[in-house]
Amino acid sequence: MKENAFVRRYGLMILAGAVVGAAALLLTAAGNPKNMGFCIACFERDIAGALGLHSAGKVQYIRPEIIGIVLGAMLSAFAFREFKARAGSCPATRFVLGLFVMIGALAFLGCPLRMVIRLGGGDLTAVAGLLGFLAGILAGVVFLKKGFSLGRAYPVKMGEGLALPAVMAGLLALLLLAPGLLKFSEEGPGSMRAFWLVSLAVGLAVGFLAQRSRLCMAGGLRDAFLLRDFTLLAGFLTIWITVTVGNLIAGNYNLSMLSQPVAHSQHLWSFLGMALAGWGSILLGGCPLRQLILAGEGNGDAAVTVLGMIAGAAIAHNFGLAGNPDSTADGVYQVGGIGAAGMIAVAAGFAVLLAVSLLHLPGKEEA
Amino acid sequence: MRQRSPRCVVSFHTTAGAMAAERLCRREGLEGRLISVPRSVTSDCGIAWSAPPELREVLERRLREAGIEAAGFHDLLL
Repeated sequence: MKENAFVRRYGLMILAGAVVGAAALLLTAAGNPKNMGFCIACFERDIAGALGLHSAGKVQYIRPEIIGIVLGAMLSAFAFREFKARAGSCPATRFVLGLFVMIGALAFLGCPLRMVIRLGGGDLTAVAGLLGFLAGILAGVVFLKKGFSLGRAYPVKMGEGLALPAVMAGLLALLLLAPGLLKFSEEGPGSMRAFWLVSLAVGLAVGFLAQRSRLCMAGGLRDAFLLRDFTLLAGFLTIWITVTVGNLIAGNYNLSMLSQPVAHSQHLWSFLGMALAGWGSILLGGCPLRQLILAGEGNGDAAVTVLGMIAGAAIAHNFGLAGNPDSTADGVYQVGGIGAAGMIAVAAGFAVLLAVSLLHLPGKEEA
Repeated sequence: MRQRSPRCVVSFHTTAGAMAAERLCRREGLEGRLISVPRSVTSDCGIAWSAPPELREVLERRLREAGIEAAGFHDLLL
């Protein structure tokens, strides 16, 4: 009975976390960058680059993983009669929030999912990101407790709910049928990729399971802080454990602050970048992965958020806001990170999030 | 091991709705607590109010009177 209660509560979440962790390991083995088997922010940034929305040559590729996640979530939602086309919950505000979540994530060099994957690879520079993410979640929870809301979504026509899945199907068609229209990195992280069918299949599986389990990096910590409910957090922890064990077995675990793949040692800005991403994710009701899942379930507001994140990625690279990884030149270790423009953008992001948080508190008559 | 018991679970369209319901119930001394909305209710990962089933009618009336829009009332074994 006790086992049944545990399985009933945590079984699906642990399964989803294990599959996502294993998927990250598999994709890295198949060609994706180290400690970046999966990264929603990085992959959306790559898609922005492939479409020519930014010109950072090292990060341009239509990542089939993102397409697979959205379509996998859609298939799951249809299969279990949970596809609900709805929208109307402050879409413009969500676009802006998505944009700044992306700027924060790219300052750190990864979304919350990649943060966990980096930790699972022994990347100690990600600890600053984790602490920042926790701080951002707590800031968001404070405003949730005060009654923050972007308002409810309403049922809309099916076409609205299918918008992002259709965009993703279109991107897949471009990748397979008209690659000449797209940009492809020839060096750097964007050039490191698993075979498209493997990426797509893994994305579909992750999207399907994440829809069934409601896996969410931000939601897990929100529920732990707000409700003392650790169900969603179990997925977060399972990914961490799975990736750690997998890397230890494969001999890829490197517990260190230095020379970590696509990571920097500018700890303060890793902290602040992920604090921005965490706070924004709570205001949006889910982390970047969760936004893809919601969009696949027919949520037009989440679709707008995803488009905001892609726009944020383009802005981050066009204006030099994104972080640069640590590197070694002529035997000298050089700390990467963000420059002055990135620091200003992250600070502006906090100002925007504070304004959004305050403007969406209930009036005195509603409180 | 904790026994499962019948509960009235109130789901909301927004987290703010659940928070407002909690404030109302605390103010009026109505038993219950916030929970993560059960997966059997919705694929959303929001927050719900869980109360003893005998309070269902009172909750329906008081939430309506207070202008707090519930998405649904669900009788569940939790």
